[in-house]
Amino acid sequence: MPRTASKPKKKRSKPYTVTSSDTVSVPSASSETKKSSKEKDGKYKLFNKYANASSGVIDPEGIEKLCSKLKVSHTDIKILMLAWKMKSERQGYFTKAEWRRALKALKVDTIKKLKKALPELEQEVRKPLNFSDFYAYSFRYCFTDEKQNCVDIETICQLLDMVLGSTFRDQVDHFVNYLKIQNVYKVITMDQWMGFYRFCNEIIFPDMTNYSLELAWPSILDNFFEWMREKQA
Amino acid sequence: MSNNQKKRNFQIEAFKHRVVVDPKYADKTWQILERAIHQIYNQDASGLSFEELYRNAYNMVLHKFGEKLYTGFIATMTGHLKEKAKLIEAAQGGAFLEELNKKWNEHNKALEMIRDILMYMDRTYIESSKKPHVHPMGLSLWRDNVVHSPKIHTRLLNTLLDLVHRERTGEVIDRGLVRNVTKMFMDLGESVYQDDFEKPFLEASSEFYKVESQEFIESCDCGDYLKKAEKRLTEEIDRVGHYLDAKSEDKITSVVEREMIANHMQRLVHMENSGLVNMLLNDKYEDLGRMYNLFRRVTNGLATVRDVMTSHLREMGKQLVTDPEKSKDPVEFVQRLLDERDKYDKIISTAFGNDKTFQNASNSSFEYFINLNARSPEFISLFVDDKLRKGLKGIADVDVEVILDKVMMLFRYLQEKDVFEKYYKQHLAKRLLSGKTVSDDAEKSLIVKLKTECGYQFTSKLEGMFTDMKTSEDTMRGFYGSHPELSEGPTLIVQVLTTGSWPTQPAVPCNLPAEVSVLCEKFRSYYLGTHTGRRLSWQTNMGTADIKAVFGKGQKHELNVSTFQMCVLMLFNNSDRLSYKEIEQATEIPAPDLKRCLQSLACVKGKNVIKKEPMSKDIGEDDLFVVNDKFASKFYKVKIGTVVAQKETEPEKQETRQRVEEDRKPQIEAAIVRIMKSRKILDHNNIIAEVTKQLQPRFLANPTEIKKRIESLIERDFLERDNTDRKLYRYLA
Repeated sequence: MPRTASKPKKKRSKPYTVTSSDTVSVPSASSETKKSSKEKDGKYKLFNKYANASSGVIDPEGIEKLCSKLKVSHTDIKILMLAWKMKSERQGYFTKAEWRRALKALKVDTIKKLKKALPELEQEVRKPLNFSDFYAYSFRYCFTDEKQNCVDIETICQLLDMVLGSTFRDQVDHFVNYLKIQNVYKVITMDQWMGFYRFCNEIIFPDMTNYSLELAWPSILDNFFEWMREKQA
Repeated sequence: MSNNQKKRNFQIEAFKHRVVVDPKYADKTWQILERAIHQIYNQDASGLSFEELYRNAYNMVLHKFGEKLYTGFIATMTGHLKEKAKLIEAAQGGAFLEELNKKWNEHNKALEMIRDILMYMDRTYIESSKKPHVHPMGLSLWRDNVVHSPKIHTRLLNTLLDLVHRERTGEVIDRGLVRNVTKMFMDLGESVYQDDFEKPFLEASSEFYKVESQEFIESCDCGDYLKKAEKRLTEEIDRVGHYLDAKSEDKITSVVEREMIANHMQRLVHMENSGLVNMLLNDKYEDLGRMYNLFRRVTNGLATVRDVMTSHLREMGKQLVTDPEKSKDPVEFVQRLLDERDKYDKIISTAFGNDKTFQNASNSSFEYFINLNARSPEFISLFVDDKLRKGLKGIADVDVEVILDKVMMLFRYLQEKDVFEKYYKQHLAKRLLSGKTVSDDAEKSLIVKLKTECGYQFTSKLEGMFTDMKTSEDTMRGFYGSHPELSEGPTLIVQVLTTGSWPTQPAVPCNLPAEVSVLCEKFRSYYLGTHTGRRLSWQTNMGTADIKAVFGKGQKHELNVSTFQMCVLMLFNNSDRLSYKEIEQATEIPAPDLKRCLQSLACVKGKNVIKKEPMSKDIGEDDLFVVNDKFASKFYKVKIGTVVAQKETEPEKQETRQRVEEDRKPQIEAAIVRIMKSRKILDHNNIIAEVTKQLQPRFLANPTEIKKRIESLIERDFLERDNTDRKLYRYLA
């Protein structure tokens, strides 16, 4: 029996519009159980509190509201981690499906619970295996259009501070300094971005005695290394 | 049937003659023999009967008295030898050796006779008892009792060494006598020769040469010292040939080599004002050859010479190429390089026997310092340009080939062959377009050589340029053929250049005079009529014009000028006076080009067809120009064009260098992709090495640049880094 032919048994209480960039699939009520619909209701209620009524997604304004409720700054890494958890595709916007994904994974459905879950989430993300994935994600999250594959220097500086500032303060400070002073590179590629993470993890800083120009480090790091050496001289 | 006859047995029995063992028999027989030996030694053997003595000796052995005979012989001979030794000891001065020699000869004769007499004992008793045979015994006895006699042993050695020393210091000695003595040693056994003579001889020689070499080195210059060393070496070889055993030759030459050469190698090579460097600078072929032949005999000798030559060559070459004075004239610069190359070629072939290791050292040195000057590729191209424009005029074909081959030699040393290619193309273009090449054959010959050296890719565009020239001639014929009415007016000669084969030039705006632009348009429509789908753009910065001019006093001249100059000059047909701004407006030539053009027309002595107000050297925006009515030149045809290839100015140089760097990027990327496609996975260091190797025939790739290209390819998803080992790259199909 084709499922697509069946009509929803329950009618939605609040109709909502779906924008073209949204990848939400309309859940057919026939596949729902009473229990999960109750849960979903909670998440959706929460979602709707912050979503923009006409676009049907949480927009930057909504996120700001959310942040103040959660008592975190909207530049706090935990929000980025939340975005990662929900596999959010567009910076500054959370869709319903994304929202649901995160809250389901965190097993929360109220603001209070969400607030409590954030520190745990941070711990989880900081685990090395996850952090590497999160680090790459945070780069891609900056893309503003489909064909983009690199990020401008200014954004990178901010992103580095947010994402690696607490663990690799020294390296971030120096590298950001370098990026601001140099004028060879106007953007950073994914390869360079990941390269820096490897650099922080593997290279003794600020001595950099185990760094070598003959290895396969991205050229930007070679230039950074030489710049550091000049300063240290 | 049995024979009952008694068998008679025939038996042959040994003769059982009763041996009367006369106890005195042996003594008596021995006495006979002993007396005989005495007589033999006293040179009184003529009365002896060999047969009788032989029989006596034979009988003694037969009757089992072999031992008595043997010991008796030894004792008797020993006695005699001791006497002889005393006689020899008693000899004074020169007679000593003579006496020894004489007694030795006598002893040998006596020994021979005695041996013959005792032959039976030699073959039977001595054989079975394994004692030394008579002859060797006789020699040993001589050795022990005479040669090794305390009073003789040392004196003999010293006498010999003294003679050798005297001969070395110039005296004449009795060589035959010494030869006999050394031969005596050899006869006594090789170890006797070595221990009693050769070893001490070598030591004494070593001392002698140690002292002499020290004297020489303090007082002689390198060339003289080497002459002396060579002389000594020859002498010693001669000495061995005359009175030493042949096996001593290698040993004594080693001593001379060690003391005279090896121990003073560094000092000789580095001797101020006469050492290797001085010899090289002054082409002292003989001295160099001598040094080569002597030094090759010792360990590291040639390596030392080679190293000093290499470092001198590199230092001198470095000074040559980095001296700003010397790089003022590119043609001279290259000529100097060629001269140096010829010089060292000659040295290596004349003095060093074309030794390959020296050739290699020379080549690597040239390669080293030629590339120290980044303008070498440009200069070599300018040198060739000069030769092909005028330098080869009147030179036979064979000699032309020689010059071109030498240029190719320098070309091979270049690390940045692609830079050379760029300049060569530019210069060739100018030569072709101005029709200034001395010999088409020479041009083609050089292209062939470049092709052989670098492959088809290198020269395909250059060949395209020649083809364009040829095709253009045909096109012009067709144009004038189909437009006979144009033969009355100004003659237009067009060269149609295929973009891509010729050096790229930006199209420079320029308003051509009406008469010319009409012609150009006619040509354009003719050409495009027969070649649809093509686009023509006039390269006004590369053209020339021949203009007939009449000046104030009626002087008629034909001026050969550039297209820009023509545009400017033609303006004066309609105005007597023009300001800079008016000229600029009318011609639309860009300012820097226009200023250069006006300078060449107004500020060069002998070529100033127009006058400038004010008369300053630089062109100012407010300057005014008039025709120079007083222009004079003794030639009817005056050349004012500025299309000759010149050494680039600083900004031009930067531009060319930039273009070369840009051109290298795709080549590096292509190499990376080629390598990765076949290897699939490769680590960083190996990629750098492989890419560098692949590109080496064209230029020396910079590892940093290669790395940047790799990153760019990663960006474009041609390659990726391996997830676990960050040193590995993987090819993405």
